[in-house]
Amino acid sequence: MSKTLTKIKKNIKKNITEDIECFKWHSSVVLEGEVDKWEDVILAGRLAANKGYKGVVNKIKVKGLNIPKIKRPLVKDNSLENRFVDILIIGGGVIGCSIARELSKWDCSVLLVEKEEDLAMHTSSRNDGMIHPGLVPKPGTKKAYFNVKGNKLYSKVTKELDISFKRIGSLILLDKNYLKVTWPLIKRRAKLNKVKGVKLLPKKELIRKEPNISKGVVGAIYIPSTGVLSPYEMTLAYGENAVDNGVKISLNTIVKSIDKIKDKIVSVKTNRGKVYPKLVINAAGVYADYIAEMAKDKFFTIHPRKGEIVLLDKKRGAFIESVLANLDLSIKNSKTKGGGLVKTIEGNILVGPNAYEQPFKEDYITNKESVDKMLNSHLSIIPKLSKSDVITYFAGTRAATYEEDFIVERSEYVKNLVYAAGIQSPGLASAPAIAKEIEKISIDILKKQMNLKMKIDWNPKRKKAPKLNSLTLEERNKLVKERSEYGDIICRCEEISKGEIIDALNSKIPASSIDAIKRRTRAGMGRCQGGFCMPLITKIIKEENKTHMTNITKKGKSSFILVEETKCSNKEGEN
Amino acid sequence: MKIKAYYDVVIIGAGPAGMAAGISCYDNKASTLIVEREERIGGILKQCIHDGFGVIEFKEKLTGPEYSERYIKIIKDKNIPIITKTFVLNVEKKGNFKLTLINPKEGIFNIETKALILANGCRERTQKQIFIHGSRPSGIFTAGTAQYFVNILGYLPCKRCVILGSGDIGLIMARRLTLEGANVIGVYEAKKHPSGLIRNISQCLNDYEIPIILSHTITKIIGDDRVKAVEISEVNEDMEPILGTEKIIECDGVILSVGLIPENEIAESLNIDIDKRTKGPIIDQNFMTSENGIFSCGNALHVNDLVDYVSESGRYAGLSAARYINDNYERKFISVEKSLKDFAYIVPQYIDIKSIKDKVIFYFRSMDIKENVKIYIKCGENIIFHKKYRYLRPPEMERIEINLDKELIKGEKSIEFIMMEG
Repeated sequence: MSKTLTKIKKNIKKNITEDIECFKWHSSVVLEGEVDKWEDVILAGRLAANKGYKGVVNKIKVKGLNIPKIKRPLVKDNSLENRFVDILIIGGGVIGCSIARELSKWDCSVLLVEKEEDLAMHTSSRNDGMIHPGLVPKPGTKKAYFNVKGNKLYSKVTKELDISFKRIGSLILLDKNYLKVTWPLIKRRAKLNKVKGVKLLPKKELIRKEPNISKGVVGAIYIPSTGVLSPYEMTLAYGENAVDNGVKISLNTIVKSIDKIKDKIVSVKTNRGKVYPKLVINAAGVYADYIAEMAKDKFFTIHPRKGEIVLLDKKRGAFIESVLANLDLSIKNSKTKGGGLVKTIEGNILVGPNAYEQPFKEDYITNKESVDKMLNSHLSIIPKLSKSDVITYFAGTRAATYEEDFIVERSEYVKNLVYAAGIQSPGLASAPAIAKEIEKISIDILKKQMNLKMKIDWNPKRKKAPKLNSLTLEERNKLVKERSEYGDIICRCEEISKGEIIDALNSKIPASSIDAIKRRTRAGMGRCQGGFCMPLITKIIKEENKTHMTNITKKGKSSFILVEETKCSNKEGEN
Repeated sequence: MKIKAYYDVVIIGAGPAGMAAGISCYDNKASTLIVEREERIGGILKQCIHDGFGVIEFKEKLTGPEYSERYIKIIKDKNIPIITKTFVLNVEKKGNFKLTLINPKEGIFNIETKALILANGCRERTQKQIFIHGSRPSGIFTAGTAQYFVNILGYLPCKRCVILGSGDIGLIMARRLTLEGANVIGVYEAKKHPSGLIRNISQCLNDYEIPIILSHTITKIIGDDRVKAVEISEVNEDMEPILGTEKIIECDGVILSVGLIPENEIAESLNIDIDKRTKGPIIDQNFMTSENGIFSCGNALHVNDLVDYVSESGRYAGLSAARYINDNYERKFISVEKSLKDFAYIVPQYIDIKSIKDKVIFYFRSMDIKENVKIYIKCGENIIFHKKYRYLRPPEMERIEINLDKELIKGEKSIEFIMMEG
């Protein structure tokens, strides 16, 4: 046993138990055994991480803990059978979709598969939409590199893809004890990570910026490049632009197994047939390690770190202008992000996210204790806010590796496999830069096998469907005159018209569920949470898609809204 | 109908409050327009197909649609201007009030009005507003949404459900779903007493042997795609779940009836004072809010227990708005004082002593269940009203009508409601 391995084993023995096996496999360290609690699994992984191995493959089990299998689509058909493609992207989150879009520049066939009924159903719709400035990641990490680069790229890409994006800036709030010690540290970090424009704001200036802030704050560190956008809108925009440029997206498609000959993938089996790709890109989020394992290349482990987020009523939106975070929550420890208050692009205030380790990758249950704790600590930043302003809350999981850094590279052992994995926070902020890097890696590999040119007719631009409440009254009126459905308000809280809902149903990546419409239009996202508009939207889906009311789901699979017709129903407006 | 650029009074909402307000404005010679966002007028009554409406107004028991039909008929007979499918985007005060509206036919257009009546009803509290945690599957409906699916669209939203909260719509839906063949496992109420009317407990639950379980709440929703089960816990005096009392109940639906909140986005955008208790505007006896020329009535003002009172408030708001058009208005307020421990709320919150003409109507709810109490209304040293109540229950709104003597009230800063035992 090598010296490092012995040291890892000793450390695990000291802190947890001696029953853990440690051995080297490829360039990684593998841990095996059984412990009593999940915290020990995490601790063992951390003790083995960044000790000279490429990654930690943590196979330690918890006694009696049953981790549910990956959730699968219900569809089964042959729509992809015998499909030969140049590039197969696995995963339709912001990473997979941004990669698809960058690769769509090239004259090659690209197929993206996503196991859910829509894009951005997991982490990409379950985050705070913040485009981080890149101050928090440790200098020299991939996180730091891609974050700062990605942040810059957003100015251009949001314009090209017609996405609302605002650099609202963030403020790290300081109380008396921290003021003096912190500033030099942050100044140094900003310089190392190349984050521009960071400055110290004295109380007076802070209050001018954020007049509603609690009195205890004595100053703040201001980072101007922090931005906000809608993460699912961004993902869909990338996806739509990719589709416009020839990328095929297959939803409800899960990878079931990967066939290799020697060190190359030859085929990928899905629930919709076998695909033969020249190159595979693993952008499978929390399941990236699961895909890696199928290719017998698992050199890292994703441990899903949960985060909960609370949204407040738009009525209270005017209380803040930027991103506000307490110091101890944002800078001390990059592993446990504590969030703060974010003024979202839509004008709500978002509270969170918090962060805690738990074993389930697709478990989006929210917990009263942790949400209450988060509200109690963050709402006090703005004394005018209260718990009665809450309109909704939800959870997501971060695709964290034990190394706590991104994996953006070609596989060491499988020649035609590329990884965009371990993309946790600040993954959204880094996405445009990661996509460009993966594009470069992939094209380099493919160029050795085929003649590859850039498309001459590649269109970097995408036009979003009109969002009527963001237009001027004149523009809005013009649209209603052209199409009266734009004048028929369905969602009263967010002022969304029937026309916008129909647009979502007919978009390039068509919405087919209530939640998919919600992500595209915001219908149902307001204070009544769809109480009034949900039945109306169900009816619009029925009419537009010529389906039955009982077939309509909240979010695909068997999430049906309705059970059956009533005994003596008199179907209004139905024939 | 040609929409004019100016009306004396514009009424937002064509439910029971708005319709009554429109008729009374019209009868009092004001040029009137009713604006309704839905395709059909009648408000929530359209989906309330059970009976019990109109006992006070018409001295008979009607269904919701029958009740609203009576008002619709008057509006049609009198040809009172009404535009449907029209949504108010913005209200601005520019001397008069300038409304920006949108509908599919006209696009975006403006209307000016001297008086505005907010009669846009209320909305239901959601699962998130009462902080239920767990997963986010389909199958969770507010009672009103479930009612819309069943009664308007003709679909059953669940086959085996739990009802959380004992508000009246929840009770009505317990019966309705049972009649449609669903199994209603029980109505769970976090409070120690039901929130709905006694008659609904008896007619909707007892008659169908649906149990009501008090001091219990849902602490967790279980299920990924569709609700599979809920975790129910007993709650303590502070309504906090008691650890160790959790019980899992399998179900495919959760119906929430956990309270109604007046819809006051327009009022708030105009910085009108809102009562923290009613969540509706603070008004005087003429139903005028803190902003001259803006009136509020019906469930937008405070959540009523009976539609008959909703119509009554609409009628008075309409009459007052019509008077406001002609009078040179200047108000002088005295406040209506009360103990916040005894009274959940009293509406109106102020009396405008300059405009006291006829009777003054008060609506109030007690904070808790009270037996054998007396309500006094004091003006200075004088008791101007007293009444004995065998019972006061928070679900039941009480109405008091008094004649206020202008001379008597002169020089006073307030009148006071007092609740006394015995």
